Amino acid sequence: MKSKEHENKKKKAGIGQYILSVILMAYTVFCALPILLVFVGAVTDEKTLTTEGFSYFPSKLSLDGVNSVLRYGKQLFVSYGVTILVTLSGTVLGVLVMGMIAYSLSRKDFRLRSFLSIYIMIPMLFTGGQLSAYIIYTSTYHMKDNILLLILPMCVSTMNIIILRTYVQSSIPDELVDSARIDGAGEYRTFFQIVFPLMKPAIAAVGFMMATGFWNDWQNALLFITSDSKKPLQLLLINIQKSIEVLLNTRNIPSGVLAKMQGNIPQNSATMATVIVVIGPIMIAYPFFQKYFIKGLTVGSVKG
Amino acid sequence: MKGFLKNTWKHRAHVAMSLPAVLLFFFFSYMPMAGLVLAFKDFDYKLGLWQSPWCGLENFQFLLASKSTFVNITKNTLLYYVVFTAVGTILEVTLAIALDRLVFKKLGKAMQSIMIIPIFISYTAVQFIVYAYLNSDTGLINNLLGIRVRWYMEAKYWPAILTVVRMWSGVGYGSVLYMSVLAGIDTQLYEAAEIDGASKWQQIRHVTLPSLVPMISIMLLLSVGGMMHSDTGLFYQVTRNSGTLYPTTQVLDSYVLNAIFTSSNYGFTAAATFFQSVVGTALILLANGIVRKLGPENALF
Repeated sequence: MKSKEHENKKKKAGIGQYILSVILMAYTVFCALPILLVFVGAVTDEKTLTTEGFSYFPSKLSLDGVNSVLRYGKQLFVSYGVTILVTLSGTVLGVLVMGMIAYSLSRKDFRLRSFLSIYIMIPMLFTGGQLSAYIIYTSTYHMKDNILLLILPMCVSTMNIIILRTYVQSSIPDELVDSARIDGAGEYRTFFQIVFPLMKPAIAAVGFMMATGFWNDWQNALLFITSDSKKPLQLLLINIQKSIEVLLNTRNIPSGVLAKMQGNIPQNSATMATVIVVIGPIMIAYPFFQKYFIKGLTVGSVKG
Repeated sequence: MKGFLKNTWKHRAHVAMSLPAVLLFFFFSYMPMAGLVLAFKDFDYKLGLWQSPWCGLENFQFLLASKSTFVNITKNTLLYYVVFTAVGTILEVTLAIALDRLVFKKLGKAMQSIMIIPIFISYTAVQFIVYAYLNSDTGLINNLLGIRVRWYMEAKYWPAILTVVRMWSGVGYGSVLYMSVLAGIDTQLYEAAEIDGASKWQQIRHVTLPSLVPMISIMLLLSVGGMMHSDTGLFYQVTRNSGTLYPTTQVLDSYVLNAIFTSSNYGFTAAATFFQSVVGTALILLANGIVRKLGPENALF
């Protein structure tokens, strides 16, 4: 009750509070404006964009950009499918695999666990780097253009395992696990039917962060994926940029050819509309997971 | 030993449950570590990594020979790390304290939600937003200010631009951690300070900041390990990988990425990567050692 009293006392908001609000509001606007520009840009008339440039108050609006996103309709559809597949399977697999090892690491009488803890810590301290990963994956594993490379390397991370293990240690009483065992549940059943469901808050936090990572990953796609049918959304965005650059760098080509090419080159407003398509799902999912990942980050920060 | 084996057999279910993660780490973290032998090999793609002939320290000599490139890339990598970490930590802590002190809690929550959003936008998408602001013909900044700066041709502006983009993207999210610490401070501490006549600023200095020190030190420690690694998307995507900007924007990671795509300079790149990994590890061990000397409770391990 003490804290409530304190809150009430603080309620007398002075002039300082209003100044603080205004400053914070200004920062919030700074954060939101770039995102707003994407939305305004997407519905700005293309001619207005090329003559007057980007603006928050365009003189003419048009839905042409949004409509022409449908021009790369099929590839967009395929890429959406790839990204969703990678995000879903990667997150589910990762959460499951990390949940299992996190639970095992939380068993105090499990002697192998000190070795396993060191084993999972080392990759956080020492990495092989991009080049040797690239060489190993492509020349030793021969996995170039394999969609598994978008999933498996990002499935496990030391930090997430620590977060999950700390959660099990701090929030799931040992007595519960013991009583399940006395009731005759095997180790696997204890984990899958009792422990795993109880880890839900930590899993939601880790899962959402992982899903964002999978959704936004462009580097693995750029390095390994070559065929159109396996191209995720982020790679599609990169390709759009590349095709614009080709146009910009070949200004001296005959006008007839240029006009013909322009038909295939996504215009400014269409590009912005594509950006919305790519970032949209995360924006929609985020409010639902916000409270979980704030909680999850907090749990993980408790040292284990 | 017998007891250990017995214990492991008893926990065979736990061993089995750990196995998938252990294997994933082996194939996708440990194998690339072994791949660092590349730095000592004359790599031939046809022969593969293991069959390629050894070449001793030749690659490192190559590294020393093209010193200016290497020095410049390393300098950029380290400078950006220092600037991002320093500015980022100060802004994140300031923002967390400001939101914590605000009495309009509902407003604070709503604003915080918006501030976190940028972290979820990939740099491939951010790249288009930055382009909308900065491109020389249709860019918002040039039109608004009535100037005609060719931003993508002028390397000198980019340290500032990249810092702003990085802060826009990460500060709101980064402050969440510090806010969770602040929420845990016992309000009686503030009351006691108030009774002792401490002003609002004194309260922040003597109550709020000290309680944030452990979290700040953990976050700094964790970041030290990544000192030689940069947010590749920021340097590769947001700059549109423009060659004119390399003097101020090329970092180790984006250099390596370019080397992979052009399949050139594998020897040089391998040596640079090796250096990157070893220095990164040495730095985190050093930093952890220092922190453990100063205050063991703040050390990572």
